[in-house]
Amino acid sequence: MIDIKIDGKKISVKEETTIMDAAKELNIDIPSLCHRPTVEAYGACRLCVVDVNDGRKIRMVTSCNYPIRKSIEVNTQSERVRKTRGMLLEMMLSRWPNVDVIKEYAKEYRITKPRFIHPLVDYSSNACILCGLCVNACSEIMWEDIIGFAGRGESRRVVMPFEKHYDACVGCSTCANICPTGAIKMIDDPNQPVDPKRIIKYGSKIADEMVLLDEEQCDMRSVGTAHLAQIMNDYDLFPTCNYKFGSHKDAGRLHSDVFKQKYITQGLPDGCWLGCSMSCAKAVEGYELKTGPYKDDKVLIDGPEYETIAGCGANMGIFNPEFVLETNFYCDTYGIDTISFGTGMAFAMECYENGILNKERTGGMELNFGNEEVGLKVLHQMGRGEGFGVIIGQGIRRMKQIFAEKFDLTKEQIQFMQDIGMEAKGLEYSEYVTKESLAMQGGYGLALKGAQHDEAWLIFMDMVNNQIPTFEDKAEALHYFPMFRTWFGLMGLCKLPWNDVEPADNAETDEPAKVPGHVEGYVNFFSAMTGKEIDKHELILQSERVYNFQRVFNYRLGFGTRKHDRIPYRSAGPVTIEEYESRAERYDKQLVEKWSYDIKGKTSVEKRDYLRKMREADYHKLCDAVYKRRGWDNNGVPTIQKMKELKMDLPSVAEVLKKT
Amino acid sequence: MKIIKIGLASCGLAAGAGKIKQIIEKKIDDDINADFEIRETGCIGMCYNEPLVEVLQNDKSWIYGNVDEEKAKAIIEHHTKKDTPIKEWVVKARDIQTDDNTYFEKQLKIASRNCGIIDPADIEDYINSGGYESLKKTLKMDSESIIKEIIKSGIRGRGGGGFPTGIKWESAVKAAKKKDEKPIIVCNADEGDPGAFMDRNLMESDPHSIIEGMIIGAYAIGSNEGYIYIRKEYPLALERVENTVEQARKNGFLGKNILNSEFDFDISIHRGAGAFVCGESTALMTSMMGRAGEPRAKYIHNVESGFKNKPTVLNNVETFANIPVILEKGAKWFAGIGSGNVTENPWGGSSGTKVFSLVGNLKRTGLIEVPMGITLREIIFDIGGGIPNGRKFKAVQTGGPSGGCLPESHLDLTVDFDTLSKAGSMMGSGGMIVMDDKTCMVDVAKYFISFLKDESCGKCTPCREGLIALDEILTRITRGKGKEDDIELMKNICETMKIASLCELGKSAPNPVLSTIEYFHNEYEAHIKDKKCSAGVCKPLITYSVNDNCTGCTICAGNCPVDSISGKVKEKHFIDTNKCIKCNVCYEVCKFDAITVK
Repeated sequence: MIDIKIDGKKISVKEETTIMDAAKELNIDIPSLCHRPTVEAYGACRLCVVDVNDGRKIRMVTSCNYPIRKSIEVNTQSERVRKTRGMLLEMMLSRWPNVDVIKEYAKEYRITKPRFIHPLVDYSSNACILCGLCVNACSEIMWEDIIGFAGRGESRRVVMPFEKHYDACVGCSTCANICPTGAIKMIDDPNQPVDPKRIIKYGSKIADEMVLLDEEQCDMRSVGTAHLAQIMNDYDLFPTCNYKFGSHKDAGRLHSDVFKQKYITQGLPDGCWLGCSMSCAKAVEGYELKTGPYKDDKVLIDGPEYETIAGCGANMGIFNPEFVLETNFYCDTYGIDTISFGTGMAFAMECYENGILNKERTGGMELNFGNEEVGLKVLHQMGRGEGFGVIIGQGIRRMKQIFAEKFDLTKEQIQFMQDIGMEAKGLEYSEYVTKESLAMQGGYGLALKGAQHDEAWLIFMDMVNNQIPTFEDKAEALHYFPMFRTWFGLMGLCKLPWNDVEPADNAETDEPAKVPGHVEGYVNFFSAMTGKEIDKHELILQSERVYNFQRVFNYRLGFGTRKHDRIPYRSAGPVTIEEYESRAERYDKQLVEKWSYDIKGKTSVEKRDYLRKMREADYHKLCDAVYKRRGWDNNGVPTIQKMKELKMDLPSVAEVLKKT
Repeated sequence: MKIIKIGLASCGLAAGAGKIKQIIEKKIDDDINADFEIRETGCIGMCYNEPLVEVLQNDKSWIYGNVDEEKAKAIIEHHTKKDTPIKEWVVKARDIQTDDNTYFEKQLKIASRNCGIIDPADIEDYINSGGYESLKKTLKMDSESIIKEIIKSGIRGRGGGGFPTGIKWESAVKAAKKKDEKPIIVCNADEGDPGAFMDRNLMESDPHSIIEGMIIGAYAIGSNEGYIYIRKEYPLALERVENTVEQARKNGFLGKNILNSEFDFDISIHRGAGAFVCGESTALMTSMMGRAGEPRAKYIHNVESGFKNKPTVLNNVETFANIPVILEKGAKWFAGIGSGNVTENPWGGSSGTKVFSLVGNLKRTGLIEVPMGITLREIIFDIGGGIPNGRKFKAVQTGGPSGGCLPESHLDLTVDFDTLSKAGSMMGSGGMIVMDDKTCMVDVAKYFISFLKDESCGKCTPCREGLIALDEILTRITRGKGKEDDIELMKNICETMKIASLCELGKSAPNPVLSTIEYFHNEYEAHIKDKKCSAGVCKPLITYSVNDNCTGCTICAGNCPVDSISGKVKEKHFIDTNKCIKCNVCYEVCKFDAITVK
């Protein structure tokens, strides 16, 4: 920290803080036309000049980009500073006499009439004042360079390439929103919002948060979701060796830092949605493939996302970033989901290590955890439709059937497969360890489409922060969040900007998990876009209609009841003794404290079995509570009464529900 | 065997040396007795005598100047038969006293030591004249002692900034260590001042000395990556440097494991697209990164974070050309040349020499290299030969377009970094323009401001708008529309530009205005109050009349494009000022000095 003085007031700031930022903390206002916190200081307008005394001499510097590196005294209002700003304003006023931001400052500095006639005088009140905010916002916020400066000196102007309309501009409006004079306007917004100003108000809020807070909170603008690997490992949630464990000593090799420093070099947004405020960026450029049909080719890989790192890494017992990248590329190329591949392989590997599979059964492959060579071999087999890869490629539910039918397995082995086969409703689990969070087990098990976390991610609320202790609390969360998240699907929006990057004051709100600041934004987006005023309750209701209809749909096709909501025990607790003993302290404590179980003299097998009984019972109780909260019957089917409330009692729905 | 050398740098080529070479070649081909080896060379500095042809014979050499077709043929014929020179055409020789000998007497050539002597396209020629010896020597030294030597020599940046080179290198080493990154070394060859061509000549005439200096610099700071930024308007320099880098690579001076020292270094060439501002260090680096050449604030120095955000050393062409000599002859020797005392502190003076392009209203113009501390008077009158056509000296502008104009009273100032900037001008990269009494200083200020206005990148307000305003005000003054308080207003604008501009271009741009206001205040007053231009340059302020010298020869009347001159043969003529368009043709054609411009 460095002690400085600004206009006689003392403040202590971090090294490299700019004078402008330090002054802001002291509520000292320094004029500027070209600076915003969301773009790098540009230093073009020069209005923010101040006098700096470093003990040796007094220099005039621009406060927006002058980094404080030693104890200095700053004078923001010296006579020289005011005179300089006045002259600058006189120059600007002579060229743009009717631009409000300039007029206001000029008035403050008592500049009324310039002493010379500017040859390029522009009387428009919306004149471009060459502040560069639009150009820098396009480049730094959107990572595009769609507009830029052309010409030197007096012919300097903001243009698109070759001064023609450039199709790559998707009309994200970032430039228009940051323009201080209104020189850039959206004239043909294809969305035709009813209230564009309201959209801009809430949109700019989110856009600013992304730029200002992401680097500190998530760093998704540099690494995408890869930043999660470290967090999950720290909280014992990083699936390792088919979800046996939640962390590993080698997990550091898969942290986002490794990818960022060595592989993610392109520094451009993925472009999944051009013009996105978040603009996740994680492309790996010039990666040389080591296997498969494109061996030795240098390719660009879109990834890896967190799920790929965990699934095609730790969950297979592999901690090599290049293995992750290679599988990422080939999964994308073959059209294989990296989660299903990773979780499916992890299942097959555990089967191999437990004798359910062997070399003979796999066509000569040693499917041990950590075997990178075999991992890629299976992937290429899948791609070609050959060998054992064909069986793994069918997914865990089919694998369990096939192994039971084809191989001579014991009853115990078949049960073991049911316990460790991480799928629900036939869909492979995505990459979070749910053992210690009952609510999250429900999040996976009760999701309509199968074991996926996109309906609810409650681990921190439940396990880490203990905000939803009772069954009713958990059921409420398993009502609200799946409905809220479904709304993104209804609107065609990405969920990441909702709760990955959060408002700076989110923790101080009454329900931080819901991110109230952003919920308010979405309510306003909907209202401003459609002209139909809704509140946050109506938002949930919109989803409920669809969600319940989907559940009825599942039911009609013979799914969507309690038995379909079952989950493999691996997701609720330790299946093996190895697993129990690896976290024995935690489990022992729970047995004693939660269930008053006398652990004295008990073997690990006895303790594991008792824990399982209790946890499985809890899961059923959770289902009961959730069904009740959702307005479903005890078998998990929506009641006709509920459908009526939602005005979704369509004849075809009523027909289906008659059968319950 | 006799050797004939032809100066084929841009100045020679512009004067027709290419054609002279063809003629000489043909002449030698045609004459069975003509036994000459033709060699190319660069520019020896006597641009006013181009094309130059040197004949070397029996350990003697004679340089012929202003060689035209006839002279070229005669020279070959003469030397085929005789081993004495054609004395009256010789402009430089050891054994002949010529008028031009004084041109060289006060010069001292370090950076331009080989210019006009060796064949710049032939690495052998450079090696034979001692080239790359310094590199061999330094590769055996450690980084610290090389940098110490450079600091002790006192050499300061020849690009104009005058920052001590050794200290720059030292800071880059420190920053690189702190950031754990390899520094980058860049040569600034984006010379863009009007009337300045020092770097062009060094690149065209002795490019290996620059490369050698760069390699030594790279070795000293531990860089493996070098760049030369050359403006595209220098096609010959570009070609020469490209060729030079290729030759240096082939000879093991560039590339991996240079001269078995385990030191790797290579150079890439970046072509600038011709923006004056790209000579500014941060704009140059931005341009090298593929973006529009605009400067950024230098609160974080390039030596910390420059090209590609890595520690970067940027030195000028001439600075690099000095390096091999400094290391060959020693810091003490170099520090002994020049003014001030740099033994304790490189800021203590200006050591070594400086190359200038001496141009304007002078008898002898060209490229000169002089020891620091020489006076302006010595340069202008002893080397440049004074003002021709019986006119009087009025001002000298040093330091390129943003340098100041100094009057006669300042002619005894010494030429070094600190004295010139104290006087309101600057060393700059070495442009020196001499003006006679037919020059209007307001017009001169307007010319340079107009140039700078076009070349300002336009990023920051004071430079962009200040130059537009100054141009506007100077234009109205030269048109007789100046206002009483215009001088005060311009001073205000200049003051703001000086302290508030983003880069040195804007900060130094007011110099031509401020220096002319200071030293030629009367001329401004005359333009504004009396609506007079005493030099007769500002057209709206002047009138043409015929004086009593008129002999009635009628030549003026015959040449006037608008028939504004009337008069009978052998009688005094008369100009109708209503018709006169002030085209100056009458003045130029009159042989009797009978046209008065007031």
